[in-house]
Amino acid sequence: MWKKKLYSSTTLLTILLRTRKIPKIHSPNSVSHKNITLLDPLLQTSASFSSSSSSSPFVEIEGLSFPTVGGIFFGGPTFHRENVNLFTKKKNSFCSESKSAKKLQCWNCDATADGTTPFLVCQSCRSVQAVNHSINYFQILGVERKYNIEVEKLEGKYKNWQKKLHPDLVHSKSQREREYAAEQSARVINAYRTLTDPLSRAIYILKLENVVVDEEERITDPELLAEIMELREAVEEAEGNQALNQIKAQIQDKMQYWCKSFEDAFLNKKYEDAIASIQRMTYYKRANEEIIKKL
Amino acid sequence: MLRHASKMILGQGLRSPPTRAVAVGAGTPRMYHERVVDHYNNPRNVGSFDKNDPNVGTGLVGAPACGDVMKLQIRVDDDTGKIVDACFKTFGCGSAIASSSVATEWVKGKQTEEVLTIKNTEIAKHLSLPPVKLHCSMLAEDAIKAAVKDYESKRAKSNASEEAAPVEKAADA
Repeated sequence: MWKKKLYSSTTLLTILLRTRKIPKIHSPNSVSHKNITLLDPLLQTSASFSSSSSSSPFVEIEGLSFPTVGGIFFGGPTFHRENVNLFTKKKNSFCSESKSAKKLQCWNCDATADGTTPFLVCQSCRSVQAVNHSINYFQILGVERKYNIEVEKLEGKYKNWQKKLHPDLVHSKSQREREYAAEQSARVINAYRTLTDPLSRAIYILKLENVVVDEEERITDPELLAEIMELREAVEEAEGNQALNQIKAQIQDKMQYWCKSFEDAFLNKKYEDAIASIQRMTYYKRANEEIIKKL
Repeated sequence: MLRHASKMILGQGLRSPPTRAVAVGAGTPRMYHERVVDHYNNPRNVGSFDKNDPNVGTGLVGAPACGDVMKLQIRVDDDTGKIVDACFKTFGCGSAIASSSVATEWVKGKQTEEVLTIKNTEIAKHLSLPPVKLHCSMLAEDAIKAAVKDYESKRAKSNASEEAAPVEKAADA
């Protein structure tokens, strides 16, 4: 992955060194604790520079000194701001739009995000922006990042967003903006759906804490499984809507209990218990779906 | 990507995974293999044995992420150690149902030690399960093992004491 990122920088290198013969690049500061070797397939040049902060901020290429930042050579005036992120942040995902956490700029009018609302749409020119995955669903819908949110508030915010970035609004705009609108709109829909449903909200909020529910895990807890088995059998054998609704009510109660249990576990950072609650909720949800099918 | 996004907007929603036991006629690009459909339409060995019966081993396993629960029971002849009958009850997707159905077919007539060697990969291959459904066959393999384990522990208990042994389920896989 390093090589891929560095390659985009090498194209700058090639531009600058186009008319030169194959140079040997030496960093004046050869003592470093990290060395990045840059391989440019076009020039077949290898440049090595230190990534540690070097006392000498220059890299020598064929007798010419080029300025470096943090010991890394970026290239001349054609240097694009995005590349800062390549080297300063290790795990930054590379994207055509600047993802720097500090300043978000509109691709259309270069206005900076004011930071009051999530930067999905530019305030000045109203252009839809590219999807920024560092903005989580809670931020998009303007709610506090906690499990027990007020679900009624979500719909209003969701609709407000769609008024601004629904694809129907941009059909006369550029291809680029239409694509952004489609992706951004889809993301807002995902956010809305994920946060309205208690189970998906639980899974998502855990995911934000980097606790992932294993898709393939199997359990043999006899009590839980026996209970679920009985529940599903009861649903299957239930005759008439009254019986089904009765079971449905029981499931609702259990769901509420386990939602509360999840919340407590989550607040106390007891993630094992949180996952157990999620498992229960998943089972009850499935049973509920079966009831709805039958009704 | 654009089409995907517009599908979401039009509410054709991809929310529920296409794992519900739907017959192939739904026209989704992901099709169930005909063997899976066969097991779903013509279920074999669905049912229940009395779990308190000393000859019966019950394996109860679940996949919480998809909300599946699978019960597989075997009836073993005490003298020969041969599985004379098997039945299952599974709540889950078509692949899970088919996997457990296949499992009950395969264990019949075999020794309890022998069925422990049945691998999920064989079941998956038989049903041409796609990668996303491999865990269903794992579940079936677990169910077989759990059933045998249950039977063995029942036998051990009844050998150890005169009283009727309570049903002991395996606590871990």
